[in-house]
Amino acid sequence: MDKFLLLGMNGLIWGLIIALIALGLAIIFGLLDVINLAHGDFFMVGTVLAWATLQWTGSFWLGFLIVPLIGFILGALIQRVVIQPIHNAAALSIVATFGLSLILQESVRMTFGPTPRRILPPIQGTVPLFGIDYELYRIFAAAVAIVSLVGFFLFLHRTRLGTWIRAVRHDRDTAVAMGVPAHRVYVFTFALGFALAALGGVVAAPITTVDFRGGVDILPFCFMAVIIGGLGNLPGTAAAAILLSFLEGIIQSVADPTVARIASLVLMSAVLLLRPQGLFKGLTR
Amino acid sequence: LISSAAIDRVLMAALAVFLLSVPWLVPALINGFWVSVIAEILIWSLLAASVNLLFGYVGLLSFGQALYFGFGMYGVAIGISDFGLSFWPAFALGIAAAVAMAVATGIFAVRLTWHYFAIITVVFSLIFYFLALTNKWLTGGDDGINFTLPATFSIGASKWSFAEPAFQYFFILATVTLCLWLMHRLVNSPLGRALLAIRSNEVRASLIGLNVYLLRLIAFVLAGFLAGVAGALFAFFGRYASATYMFYHVSGEAVVWAIVGGAGTLFGPLVGTTIFIVLREIVSTQWEHHALIVGAVAILVVIFAPKGVVGLWREWLTRLGERRATASVEARWRTEP
Repeated sequence: MDKFLLLGMNGLIWGLIIALIALGLAIIFGLLDVINLAHGDFFMVGTVLAWATLQWTGSFWLGFLIVPLIGFILGALIQRVVIQPIHNAAALSIVATFGLSLILQESVRMTFGPTPRRILPPIQGTVPLFGIDYELYRIFAAAVAIVSLVGFFLFLHRTRLGTWIRAVRHDRDTAVAMGVPAHRVYVFTFALGFALAALGGVVAAPITTVDFRGGVDILPFCFMAVIIGGLGNLPGTAAAAILLSFLEGIIQSVADPTVARIASLVLMSAVLLLRPQGLFKGLTR
Repeated sequence: LISSAAIDRVLMAALAVFLLSVPWLVPALINGFWVSVIAEILIWSLLAASVNLLFGYVGLLSFGQALYFGFGMYGVAIGISDFGLSFWPAFALGIAAAVAMAVATGIFAVRLTWHYFAIITVVFSLIFYFLALTNKWLTGGDDGINFTLPATFSIGASKWSFAEPAFQYFFILATVTLCLWLMHRLVNSPLGRALLAIRSNEVRASLIGLNVYLLRLIAFVLAGFLAGVAGALFAFFGRYASATYMFYHVSGEAVVWAIVGGAGTLFGPLVGTTIFIVLREIVSTQWEHHALIVGAVAILVVIFAPKGVVGLWREWLTRLGERRATASVEARWRTEP
């Protein structure tokens, strides 16, 4: 029972972090029609930058500020140099982001090294929770993820820039006719996607390992969340990420992690075939 | 004056002469190792061709062709090491396993299109990748299965097997050429026309009486067949099979090779695969971080040659032809009084 609760909690919190990363993938996909195979590596770069911040400044907390900012700048640069020239062609975006993924992984392997490292949680200690002693940092991570998720949706619905993003996604031509600077919105959205993944990386760095291959497993999981949540349905994506990860956590308490992964993949095939519009279609708007 | 068709014919002939002389020419010019690199390129280009058959001719982007490649590999490896099969039955088992898998997954996958299709193919391949990882008793997991190579032909006392580099090369060359020729015939057959019709407009294709679902399934199974042949050949080539070849990265590389070479062209996958494997072999001996260059090349090609290298070449030939046409018209103009 304790194991069940522990792994369920771990899954839930991991799902909140994945939701952040998957939202980045979803806005890039929804707005730019880019199938971003480098998105897992954006997360990985976040974990590595968190490690670097800790090494150079001695403070892990600074990473929460610096890393998403660096991610944002890198994202804007990548959009201008790599994504813009291919005119939002989805098939070409696969090749371009595959190349990008190789470049990011190899750059990290070159500078950070091939051996995985660990970051000690900046908050040590445990708290009693439903009868188990639960790591304090994971609860903090969950809080950061929730605040960021709420912040993201507030930004999207309550600010002018967020409205522009939704407008361009809904109907690009009309938005341009109404004076929305579509090109700048593209750059901003891609940069925001990278920043969200990088933030996910900082939050997750003390929970997982920092490794140049850290994004490889994350990528299919994020795609699953985007598809099960329904393409273009952002709250659905976040919900699917949390649900999937929670389910995997629970299955892990009785079976091998790989079995849990297979189970969520099978679930995903079923969703794709039976409800290709996503699990939550009809529930929102 | 040479026409663009003639340039293509000359190139084809040069390629054929080169490929046929590889086991003698390459060791003399570089070294014997490159014979096996070229054999490897031929095998992988068949996997890229299977991506190309679906994407270039039917408009379905599969991110899971490594699954059928892996089944081809494991069919051969398990056939030899567990069932004690000889060469040809093991080859047949590998291809049959890949085709059966393509039928079983294709029935579901081709109900979807575009993004959904891309995702479900990668999901199916991941499911079997993880299954292969966990069922070590059957697949050997990450470590894979090693097996001793059976002879391909044995007539009396004389045996021919992959242990001999020249035989191995020519066997691979013959198999890959046969597969590409079959694909060429298929694309130019009424079936191929029907597939192209579906690619350009699904609704119209169904309105003129084409069974879109069935045609897509046929294309999917044929693509699975190509990937399976590639996997079976690769198992004989490497004398082993491993679950790592079923991971989505392998499928992704094949997609990149096909698109960089030129999707929808017969030679595109071969060109793309050649570029990346030659690059890898040359740079990796000089510099540990060759992946940086591979990534940069992939990005540069899609930016500057969105139709792939073969597409760029075709455009160049067309423009050359047009310039010649205008030049000859002008010349005629001048000779008139």
